[in-house]
Amino acid sequence: MNDELLVVRCQLGEREAFTELVGLWHVPVWTFVRRMLDAERADDVVQEIWVAVLRSLPRLADPSRFAPWLFTIARRTVLDRLRREYTVTETPGGATETPTEDLAEEVADRTDLIAALASLPTLEREILILFYLEDLSIADCAQICEVPAGTVKSRLYRARRLLREHLAEKGCQP
Amino acid sequence: MNDEPRMSAEEMLERLAPMLSRRRRLRGIGALLAGLTGAVFTTVLWVTEPGSLPDRTRLSFALLILVCLAWTGYGIWLTARRAPLFALDRVVGAWLGLTAALLTGTITITLAAVRERGLITALVVSAIIVAVAVLLTVRAHSHRAALLRRKAELTGSGPR
Repeated sequence: MNDELLVVRCQLGEREAFTELVGLWHVPVWTFVRRMLDAERADDVVQEIWVAVLRSLPRLADPSRFAPWLFTIARRTVLDRLRREYTVTETPGGATETPTEDLAEEVADRTDLIAALASLPTLEREILILFYLEDLSIADCAQICEVPAGTVKSRLYRARRLLREHLAEKGCQP
Repeated sequence: MNDEPRMSAEEMLERLAPMLSRRRRLRGIGALLAGLTGAVFTTVLWVTEPGSLPDRTRLSFALLILVCLAWTGYGIWLTARRAPLFALDRVVGAWLGLTAALLTGTITITLAAVRERGLITALVVSAIIVAVAVLLTVRAHSHRAALLRRKAELTGSGPR
């Protein structure tokens, strides 16, 4: 069942449609939040996101644009949480899983890549997650991050460069 | 790194259940309508009172109106923040609102006519309230109909 039909059914008030919608999008939303925050805060923030989604769902004018709309809410909620807890910095608060000893592990090892991702500045990290992990288009990323498409492309370019530099420092081949 | 959510989708839904509760949504509509109706009715009663009223009576009227407005505020908060109204809820709410508007209008006009005070004002205010209620009802139906049409198109069981 496509997202638009599911969202329309939710807007009509069909309870089963909510169950399907949450079932479908819970893990992708959690994954996005987890890449931005530590595990302890991820679950709380995901709940805040779903509350905001349910509250605004009746007013969603274009159900076919559900995914970018959902990640816009997710992004705002994450940034609000970061602002509440810290002054906005470029380094993540809770990501401390950067491997320091296992330099011999292959770069394709997912743990290394995820750790490298966690070391990126917030803006570059979120754009990599949205574009590569959530498989959203440049236009969708631009809408979610509320920046022009050109800025998305610049951030992607910078994010890839930073990731390469980080992996090179760790002795990994990109 | 923990790559799995601690809360499953089912557990998340349990936490969201209060927001999806139809009873809570209807409670929000009920509070809003009862508060608004009460405030309008009490105001009309006060305005159409013949002669000058003692201070205690005026204070009582004012407090009653405040209490009614507080219930209206609670109803708005509940429906806007805690229990959002979906398409069918809006239709039900709109019809309840129209019923309340007609009832309030009838009582208001009758009261004004019997007391021979503020009849024109009562007619105008009642007409406005009923007109707004009718507009909200039409919009609620139209919105739900549009969603049903779109659902039919997407399931292939309606006109394309």
